[in-house]
Amino acid sequence: MAISSTYLSNPTISINNVDLTDQCTSAVLNYVAEQLENTTFSNTSRSFTSGLFSNTVTVTLYQSYAATETEASIFSLVGDNCAIVLKPSSAVISATNPQYTLTGAYLSAHTPINASLGELSTIDLTFSGGVLAKIVTPPA
Amino acid sequence: MYTIISPRLGTPGDEFIPQEGVNIDALLDGGLISTDSVKKSSKVKSEPKEQ
Repeated sequence: MAISSTYLSNPTISINNVDLTDQCTSAVLNYVAEQLENTTFSNTSRSFTSGLFSNTVTVTLYQSYAATETEASIFSLVGDNCAIVLKPSSAVISATNPQYTLTGAYLSAHTPINASLGELSTIDLTFSGGVLAKIVTPPA
Repeated sequence: MYTIISPRLGTPGDEFIPQEGVNIDALLDGGLISTDSVKKSSKVKSEPKEQ
């Protein structure tokens, strides 16, 4: 049995400094260090070391074409870099509510129209690369 | 200087101070902020009128 678990009830997300929390339904931050094999004849098991970091953020947002909403915030980011900030909850930054900032994340694709009859339109975005930083105290 | 237009970035009308990694061009293109910089006037002088 898990001693402490988390369900996301009110996480926050900003993409390129734009708070899109109220349009977001899913966010996945992958913090990945590529593994490079350095096994030699002296080893009896495979051995690896860290290579480049290859981080990604995947989000699902409700699409909105209204002024300063989703489309206005995302469209011009395609083919460019931006910063993404995520927190598990809207509470103040702390050890139990860390803030993650992915700086220099690249957006390669966007689906401005992704709709089906009778359903709210959503878009899935994947931001790749960038430097990830985690803070557990509010910035001064 | 940039001014906030969208409440998603802060209080509209306040100065927008970009943080590290923020893509200003995308914010301007999306109409989320505006710039107060005055565009330079064209340096091409109009042709003088013949009298």
